[in-house]
Amino acid sequence: MMNNPLGCTERQIRRLCLLFAMTAMMFSGHLVAAAELSGEVASSEKFAGAVDFLSDESYEKPTSDVQVSDPIEPFNRAVFTVNDKFYIWMLEPVSKGYSKIVPADIRGCIGNFFYNLGEPVRSVNCLLQGRFRDAGKTLGRFFINSICGVFGLADPAGDEFEIPPIYASFGETLSVWGVGDGFYLVVPLLGPSTLRDFSGTVVDGVASATYTPWNDDTLTTATAQGAKTVNRTSLHLGEYVEIKSMSFDSYVAFRNGYYQMRSKQYDHSTSSK
Amino acid sequence: MQRNISIASFFQVSLVSLLLVVGSHAAVAASPDPTEQIRPFLAKVTATLAEPGLKSKSRQEQSDRMISVIRERFDFREMSKRVLGQQWRNLSDKEQSEFEDLFTQLLQYVYVDKIDDYSGQQIQYTLQRVKADRAEVQTLLVDKNKSIPVFYIMILRNDQWMIYDVVVEGVSLVRNYMEQFNEILRKDGYAGLVKQLKNKITELEKGFNKS
Repeated sequence: MMNNPLGCTERQIRRLCLLFAMTAMMFSGHLVAAAELSGEVASSEKFAGAVDFLSDESYEKPTSDVQVSDPIEPFNRAVFTVNDKFYIWMLEPVSKGYSKIVPADIRGCIGNFFYNLGEPVRSVNCLLQGRFRDAGKTLGRFFINSICGVFGLADPAGDEFEIPPIYASFGETLSVWGVGDGFYLVVPLLGPSTLRDFSGTVVDGVASATYTPWNDDTLTTATAQGAKTVNRTSLHLGEYVEIKSMSFDSYVAFRNGYYQMRSKQYDHSTSSK
Repeated sequence: MQRNISIASFFQVSLVSLLLVVGSHAAVAASPDPTEQIRPFLAKVTATLAEPGLKSKSRQEQSDRMISVIRERFDFREMSKRVLGQQWRNLSDKEQSEFEDLFTQLLQYVYVDKIDDYSGQQIQYTLQRVKADRAEVQTLLVDKNKSIPVFYIMILRNDQWMIYDVVVEGVSLVRNYMEQFNEILRKDGYAGLVKQLKNKITELEKGFNKS
């Protein structure tokens, strides 16, 4: 048994952990309750770009309703090609090798760990958007998963407490505040985005860098980001190539897919129930 | 003797008509439940994907097998109509059936490509929404460490709910192809679209080396 600096016995530590966990759960429970009392300001409102697949309008109209202009298409197409090569030649082979060494459930845990670290930023974004109930739930998820889920490796908040992951980003916050998309932008290494959403991604990244432990030097940060990316890719192997093989103009297919996926992420009318 | 037969046939006729009345009444009373109809269908699809020996068969045989299963509950005409949007009406009857045929051939490869990947993932039914003759059945494809939301959009045709769109993680297949096809139609017209569809199908028939 290792000597611990505080001189506590193992039993004391365990008791302390349990107490801490219980306090955190009560705290997060209070947050949810308080949020419910203060009313769901935003969650009852339907997101303007939401698509109802049961209405024929969403099919009859060209897809321009969920789309922004693409004035720098030649530049975007060039970056798309570079990203494509990077994926095919680098990311996929590395992720494939990694997936052969590390078993799937451990990769799932690593994915959970990185996702959990983003929860505080998500919670703040929910607050900034007036989604108080979601802010409480997200923070609750962070506490439950950090403590009961061993630093976020597991997701007991989703599995046991039935609080599913909630989407929130600064790009979305900007959109709630009325900031327009600007234009479609394919970011090197990152992929489809818009000017607004990419700015949001940068802000979210800087915000989470204030509390994540690997931002002392560039090399460590890059390694952590790389590990996160390789791990995520290893869980979605083959999907990119499959979509590409089924599409006629993969640039258009991914641009359209980005907008459609984003409409679903920004639409909290069903996920909040 | 003659009389006996006529009595017997009278009973038969009345029994049949009684059954018909009861049957039609039951059909009206119970409008079909979309989830109940799609559940056995998707079970059949996953069972087919897992069929032993299908993996080693030729790509042609694989696609023949898949199409025979998915035809049962997919309305490919409705899909074709929607994917072309307003352009559909500008096509002649012959062109419409030609396009439907090609688009169907293309879509079967969505399922053929799943044969190699499928490893017993389960389908959970989370929610259903019905609005007049349209329905949305929301499912979750549960894998080891991820679950993918897949929604099936259906239309009621003679008591049968038929699928005309599949939405994976919010991305509608029909709307995605719609934008790609619109671009092709704008640039190269219908002839160009047919050519590209045929090329794509030939490419998919050969199969790409995934491993």
